[in-house]
Amino acid sequence: MDVAERENLEAMRRWTKEAKIGEGTFAVVYRGRQVSTGRPVAIKKIKVGQFKDGLDMTAIREVKFLQELKHPNVIELLDVYSNKSNLNLVLEFLDSDLEMIIKDRNHVFKPADIKSWMAMTCRGLEFCHRNWILHRDLKPNNLLLAANGELKIADFGLARDFTDPGSKMTCQVITRWYRPPELFFGARAYGTGVDMWSVGCIFAELMLRVPYMAGETDLEQLKVIFRALGSPTEETWPGHTKLPDYVDLGRVPKPPMQDLFTAASQPALDLLQKFLLYDPLKRISAKDALHHKYLTSLPHPTHPSKLPKSGQPMKARPLPPDELDGKGAAVTGQGATKKRKSSTMGEDGPRKVARKLEFN
Amino acid sequence: MATNPKLAWLKGPTRPSTSSARPSSSRSVSKPGTPGPGNRPANGKPGTPSAYHNAINDPSGRMREYSNKDDKCPVCTTDRYLNPKLRLLVSPCYHKMCESCIDRLFTLGPAPCPICGKILRKSGFVAQTFEDLDVEKEVSVRRRIAREFNKKVEDFPDRKSYDDYLEEVEDITFNLINGVDLPQTEARIAAFRAANAALIEANIQRDSVAAAEQAAAEEEDKRFRAEQARMAAREEEDERTERERERRAVIEGLERGEDAEGVLRRTRAEAERRTRRAQELAAQQQLARASALTAFARPAKKDVIPDEPHIAYLDDLLSGAERYMLKPSYDDPVSDAARPELKSRWTIGGYRQAESWQRAVSCAVMGLGLGTVEDSAMEVDVGA
Repeated sequence: MDVAERENLEAMRRWTKEAKIGEGTFAVVYRGRQVSTGRPVAIKKIKVGQFKDGLDMTAIREVKFLQELKHPNVIELLDVYSNKSNLNLVLEFLDSDLEMIIKDRNHVFKPADIKSWMAMTCRGLEFCHRNWILHRDLKPNNLLLAANGELKIADFGLARDFTDPGSKMTCQVITRWYRPPELFFGARAYGTGVDMWSVGCIFAELMLRVPYMAGETDLEQLKVIFRALGSPTEETWPGHTKLPDYVDLGRVPKPPMQDLFTAASQPALDLLQKFLLYDPLKRISAKDALHHKYLTSLPHPTHPSKLPKSGQPMKARPLPPDELDGKGAAVTGQGATKKRKSSTMGEDGPRKVARKLEFN
Repeated sequence: MATNPKLAWLKGPTRPSTSSARPSSSRSVSKPGTPGPGNRPANGKPGTPSAYHNAINDPSGRMREYSNKDDKCPVCTTDRYLNPKLRLLVSPCYHKMCESCIDRLFTLGPAPCPICGKILRKSGFVAQTFEDLDVEKEVSVRRRIAREFNKKVEDFPDRKSYDDYLEEVEDITFNLINGVDLPQTEARIAAFRAANAALIEANIQRDSVAAAEQAAAEEEDKRFRAEQARMAAREEEDERTERERERRAVIEGLERGEDAEGVLRRTRAEAERRTRRAQELAAQQQLARASALTAFARPAKKDVIPDEPHIAYLDDLLSGAERYMLKPSYDDPVSDAARPELKSRWTIGGYRQAESWQRAVSCAVMGLGLGTVEDSAMEVDVGA
């Protein structure tokens, strides 16, 4: 038995698996425990061996980036080990996500609650960006909440590093409702702005309690964005007509935001508008957002332990739909089981995003 | 046909005079529910709620209807001498009149106030709480304003805007009380209501939750006190019966002709034992009381974690930014296509050429200073 094998076996013995709490095409999530301390963990078992291309790309990304990121507002990868032909990721156990809280009508969000969640999101994201990692799939569903109220950014399956000048990046990322306009226009080089747009959408969703800009198709989504924010002009976004997939959808004037966000304070509206600027270079960065007046002014952000918590008992969290659908042709042998799963989980229709992989 | 009583129902409701043949014709003319002269119950003594619904409704019982022996109705000049059951009510225009005047004037529908001429309805009259009607008016205005202007200090970005808000509320209240610019003031209230509908609703919910918690705490307090009083009473009772029993034992002992000295000694020992036991019991009860007190205090303490001001960073991982100075430009053929001044496809999507340099340089210097060598002092030349 060589050293690597022995280490792997040791890692495996550190954790125990308990009940299954979620299943997708490429991964099964179990509830587990650390043997030595009894600490609850989530174990994500990634099925390997049934794909022609080898290991699932999202798993590689998740391991690659999470191993580097250690921050209170980013989910912690505790361990990785393989068992038979499966790869197991041991993650921090978090019992709810922000989407559950937003949907639960029993909660009334105070302005300070929203501020607290925004501060934690920006803090975690700033850390990722400082370490040159784009998340590229931010949405309430991927912002998990610990029992003590801490918010943690999770699901780095679509993350990648940025600033590499030589390589093109895919524009087929981020769940549609949270995707910025430059990706719809086919930009193949982008930066932190894409994540900041998603944060702006989440901020608006926290205030409205419904998704702010929800389009049925990509084209529809662009129209929804323009209706909400006015169409971009040469002043608001210089040169946007030069992007590869630019489409002219006509001129729409910008409606005043105050009409929709009646309860929002002036600094909150200002920050929201800076998140949702068309020009990605002018869009506020996570670092600047952390120092924005909205977060520093009164009321203070709610202490995490006092934030609204999910009332319902822990239930299986369905994996993101894009993970469930799989990549079509990539899987042939397991077709029957795959179809059944995607049909049961398919009610999140509009949230799907075609996940294209880049091998460059 | 109209005379046929069996078909009377076909005609719909009939006047009592024409349907006198029907057995159910004893119905009175007055509308049910309104206290007309016919079905009005006898008026109670002043201060008790009578036929009017608008009696003071205060479950705590601390607030009572105001009445005075010198009361005199300003409309009919009846006083308590002529009508011992005199009860004066206040109109929405803040004029007092007695119940019989109200019945007389407003039973047949809205009518002008005999004092100021404002059109009033019977249902608008309320019981008087305060002797001074100006106070009465101010209280009701403030109650109305507080229902909608319910923002708290937490709802404001800073102290200044909260102060401005309080100022505005006070301004509106003053205008309403003193009748200054009424239409404009009402318009301001309506504008505020429209702009803050969601927040007002949320605050009402928050206030009701807080009120419920407060009530629960009070209830708990009351129960605790009652329990304590009961315990004290039982203790006293036990003590008395014990003493009684002892006295009897002494008498019985003496009756049986026992040695007086021995009986006395025994009783004294017993008394000592009893006081010791009582002391123990008292100590125990003290303990129980203390624990009950903390148990009572616990729910009130649960929300003490204070909200702290926002902190931008929670980690101390530095990006190495303090170790280098980025040049405004580098000779970099790889990223040449992404030069910002070209305004090419590369930059429009949000790509920053400077970031690629920043990353390269910061990654190069990040590890410096972590080792044992004092290399953090080293000047790093990151020029091309």
